[in-house]
Amino acid sequence: MIEIFHVSKSYHGRAALQDVSLKVEKGEFVFLAGPSGAGKTTLLRLIFRADVADEGQVLVNNQNLAHLKASAVPYLRRGMGFVFQDFRLLPKKTVFDNVAVTLKVVGVQEGLMRAKVYEALRSVGLDHRGEALPAMLSAGEQQRVCLARAIVNDPQILLADEPTGNLDAPLAVEILELMKAVNLRGTTVVVATHNRDLVSRLRRRAVILEEGRVVERESSEA
Amino acid sequence: MTRLRYLLGEAVDNIRANRTTTIIALVTATFTMLGMGVFLLLYLNVQGALGSLREEIKVLVYLRDTASPQAIADLRARVSREPAVAAVEFVSREQALASFRAQFPSEDRLLNGLGENPFPASFVIRVSPGHRSSGSVEALVQKLKGLPDVEEVQYSRDWIENLAAALRYLEILGWGVGAVLAASMVTILANTIRLTLYARREEIEILKLIGATSGFIKTPFVLEGALLGGMGAACSLLLLRGVFEAAEAKIALKGTFWGLGSRLAFLPGRVAVLFLILGIALGCLGSWVSLMQLRDVRR
Repeated sequence: MIEIFHVSKSYHGRAALQDVSLKVEKGEFVFLAGPSGAGKTTLLRLIFRADVADEGQVLVNNQNLAHLKASAVPYLRRGMGFVFQDFRLLPKKTVFDNVAVTLKVVGVQEGLMRAKVYEALRSVGLDHRGEALPAMLSAGEQQRVCLARAIVNDPQILLADEPTGNLDAPLAVEILELMKAVNLRGTTVVVATHNRDLVSRLRRRAVILEEGRVVERESSEA
Repeated sequence: MTRLRYLLGEAVDNIRANRTTTIIALVTATFTMLGMGVFLLLYLNVQGALGSLREEIKVLVYLRDTASPQAIADLRARVSREPAVAAVEFVSREQALASFRAQFPSEDRLLNGLGENPFPASFVIRVSPGHRSSGSVEALVQKLKGLPDVEEVQYSRDWIENLAAALRYLEILGWGVGAVLAASMVTILANTIRLTLYARREEIEILKLIGATSGFIKTPFVLEGALLGGMGAACSLLLLRGVFEAAEAKIALKGTFWGLGSRLAFLPGRVAVLFLILGIALGCLGSWVSLMQLRDVRR
């Protein structure tokens, strides 16, 4: 599903990733763990083609992203869902509209759209908050809306960058349990986190990064 | 359909979210388009007046008093055969005198003092539609001057040529002023759209992440520009109509314009529609300029 071969990436002469190789199988749940500045976010950005590797190759569904035209990038991303530490919700739009925007982008019809949005909100336990604005929600609820937006289009891959960074421990576990549920439905999940406790608690494969290099590969104990 | 409604809704949301900026942009667009409208109206009316004048082109051929009735009849037949001549009317010395008396009754004493009729007989020639250019009329005049029993030939060349030259200058000036006004309208609308773009940067970023195409992201901003440009053009048309009617009533020119048979006219429906389309096009161009300058949206 995701194959990364000897990838290096620098920003303004500073190496963010050095000779990183990684393979994520279809339906797998993988943590990218490591301290801040280890290169986790850079690796995710290469996977959703926000950046292109200086050296090496990134393949998603056997598609070499270095050769992907800019006009084809939106179609690559439609097969992915994203969850961020800072939620990135549209503050003036309701919870429903925040989730629905993913489907509007691909032109899903009104009736089907409503059904899918409520199904996604139900799966994160927020189907009763559809008309609320993000500011009216707690941090945990906002992150659940973010997750609903990411999965509403049934993506093949879910990428999460520090999804629990702004949440306390019980909420963090709750979010990761929801991601596990998404994974059980067949979606490949890649979660970048600095929180090693969470990694241990979930017992999924972890790739440990430090200073832009893979320093350890922990296998799944599930 | 869902997508179209979403894109239109976003454009309207953009306008609502930046109400003050939008109102300022709309007022400026209205007055800019009004400036263009005034020039267009002026140009079309002067052009209309010139057309009427050209239709009225008459050449007066004064005949020698010594010309016999037979010579006059021959001359009339010869003149009528000229391709540039549409119609020939003969005005005898007596008819000319009677006409003068009818128009200027107060000068009757002056005429009586002269003793004899001072007016010559003449032909009033109406020029054919295809021969109304100054070159054709001039050629006809030269030909008529060379005919026997012709004393003098007159026509209103200078007046028509001056108006034609004024129209040409007005056209050049109109293009110049129109270009400056159009450029300023594009700049104003581009700045308005740019403010919206900056206000929605984060949203654009999110849309890009969830797989929105460049077209999907840009369309609401282009529609916003089109709406602003179109509304500006529509408001300026209403204002122009108001100004036109007030001016028309005040100058009391409901009848003939310069006494030449051409009425003052507002922009014809077809031109008004083109004017609206111009406003929409300038609005779209303004949006496009601001979108081109934003690297984040282009990517």
